[in-house]
This record gives sequence, C-alpha cells and structure tokens, in this order.
Amino acid sequence: MEEALVRATIPQDLEKLLGVESRPHPKAFTDAFLKNSLPHTTRCDVNNLLTHKALILGYSRPKKDKRKSKKPKGLNARQKRAMKVFQLKPEHQRYELFLPLHDLWRQYVIDLCSGLKPTSNPQFVQQKLLKADFHGAIVTVVRSKCPSYVGTTGIIVQEFKHVFKIITREDKLKVIPKRNSVFSVEINGFVSHIYGSKFEQRASERSAKKFKVRGTIDL
Amino acid sequence: MALQLKDKDAYQRMNYLYQAAHCVLSQNPENVELARFYCFTQKTIARRLVLRQDPSVKRTLCKKCCSLLIPGVTATTRQRRKNSKTRFTVLHCLSCGQSKTLLNDPNHCLWVDRPEALMEQQKQPDQGPSNKKQTKGKKPDGPVSSKPSAAKSDAKSTAST
Repeated sequence: MEEALVRATIPQDLEKLLGVESRPHPKAFTDAFLKNSLPHTTRCDVNNLLTHKALILGYSRPKKDKRKSKKPKGLNARQKRAMKVFQLKPEHQRYELFLPLHDLWRQYVIDLCSGLKPTSNPQFVQQKLLKADFHGAIVTVVRSKCPSYVGTTGIIVQEFKHVFKIITREDKLKVIPKRNSVFSVEINGFVSHIYGSKFEQRASERSAKKFKVRGTIDL
Repeated sequence: MALQLKDKDAYQRMNYLYQAAHCVLSQNPENVELARFYCFTQKTIARRLVLRQDPSVKRTLCKKCCSLLIPGVTATTRQRRKNSKTRFTVLHCLSCGQSKTLLNDPNHCLWVDRPEALMEQQKQPDQGPSNKKQTKGKKPDGPVSSKPSAAKSDAKSTAST
C-alpha cells in the first residue's frame, strides 16, 4: 500500500460512475481532513505521520459529548466573536486564491446587468449596482481624505458596516474605512465610482434599503 | 408571470454568495470562516427580505453558526437507525457541534418538488398570492440545486448554466 494511492486522483471511468469531480489540488483537502480527525497531540506534524506509520483516526474522543445538549437554534454574541470573523491563519490566503472568486463575481455582475457598456445606459447599471454584492470585486481607492489610502487596489474579501477588507496583490490584508473615500469598480470597460460615505450599511442591509438622493455628493 | 424585479436581484445575490462560499472553500479548505461569513450574509438577506429558500440549500447550511456544510470538509455524515423502520442521516457540523437530523423516507416528497408546485406548468392565472409564493420558492432552485449534488463541483460551470 503506497501513500501515493491516498493522493491519487480517481480514474476517469470511475469518475463518471460515481458522479464526482476530482479537484486539481487534492493535497489541501487531505491535509485539512487529517487535521480535523487526528487527535490533538499529534496534530502538528501531519506530513511526518504520513511517511511511515499507520494512523489512528478518531481515537481518544473527548467524553464530554455524551450529554447531547441541543441548544436552541440561536447563537450569542460570544460565539459570534469567537468564530465568525476572518482569521487569515498564518497568511494562508494568497492573492492567487481569490482570482477565481473575482471571475465568479464578474460573471455575476454581467448576468445582473444583462449587458455590457455600449448597450445599457449608466443609470440602469448603477441602480443594479446599489443592491449588488461586492465580495470578490476589484476596487481601487480613487479619492480619500486620508492620502495614504489613495491608490490601494485589491479584491474585496469582506464587507462590514463601516469598512472593507481588501487583499492586495502583495497578499496584505488591508482594512479601509468606507467613510470619506471614493472607490472605483471596473467591469469590462464600465467604470463606476462609489462614494463610500453613502454606503455605510452592512452588506445585507444594503439590499433591503432604498436609497434617497440626498444633497451634494462629495467626500 | 414574471417575478417582481427587486426580489430577483436579491435572489441572484444570494445565489452568488452561496457559490462564492463554495468557491472559497474549494480553494482553501481550511478557511471555514470566510465561507461562514458569506453564508451568514446570505441568511441575513433572506431574513430581511423574507425570501423563501429551497430546502436543498437550507440543508447544507448549519442553523447555529451558519457555516457551509460539506461532508468531509466541514461536516460529518452518519447514518443511524431508530428502530428497524426509520432510518435517518445525521449531519454534524464540525465547527459548532450542532447536529442536523434528516429522515430517509423514500416515500416522502417535498412540496416544492411536486409537480403542482411548479408555476410554469400551470396555465390558469387564478390563486394569485399562493402561486406567487411558490414561484419565489422555485427561483433559486434552477442555478443552485445543481450545486449540492456534486459537493465540490466547479463553481464556474454552474454559474454558466
């Protein structure tokens, strides 16, 4: 039994039979799976374990699980703080990993506006953009009250109430406040400027909220 | 009968968030938090606008922590039995420890899968509000229901269908 068999891809005819698709880099999945199922002490050196020994999976399960306490379906703020936000483990996330997400976003926006630049008027596209989702878009800060933000470009990873979290090409995670900044989004030739001060809503609330034309638009 | 426009936008957005969560997980299977963030946004949109989601989508989201459940990556699937008749599947979320129990009854059929729930096949324009509700329930079914069938399928290919 070779270890190479664990990481081998499924042959083509079996793929069709089972109805699965093999991913291009299966090593990441096996590593994650092993990390989850191995007991705590030996979790550090996964690769070392794969070389010679036989693994014991799911051994020493902690006994505290037997209580079967079904909490009501809510969750409290403590849990939210412990888990939800983006950890960016030891800078795992590289810029290249988010490029497929950007591709998906581009298809989504083209589908949303159902057209390209020459056909549809800008007004219609902007109305759609107000309710659209920006996760995965490439934005650039064009104008800002704080000059050090200007020129930052990256893919939006998360959108909170007052900030955007952006990952730049140098794999740095930047947190940029929405207030007093102008962002520019570009979709195959169609450039749109977003005044961040008017966008200070949580991402989900923006699709529920209607926008009023209010006052002058400036920084 | 066409959908009202603002709901269609919201459905497209929820659909996109769901696919984005799959895409992110397929690129980096250790990063569960980002997928959880996208699914939480999707749930909040649905809660705000009171939109109905297809059961096949809701089954893959954890109710407690809103993470995307993929058997093998973020969740554990087991088959159990109560007595010799009823069998059920237990889907256990690895991050928050919440279990989801699904009955395996071969005779049980969901409402949305039945042919009378499909709006497009009905010719008569009566029963206004109830029919509208059913169409709204069916809308995310098309691009999204192909998603859970292949758990790690390529997000781009389903977006193009």
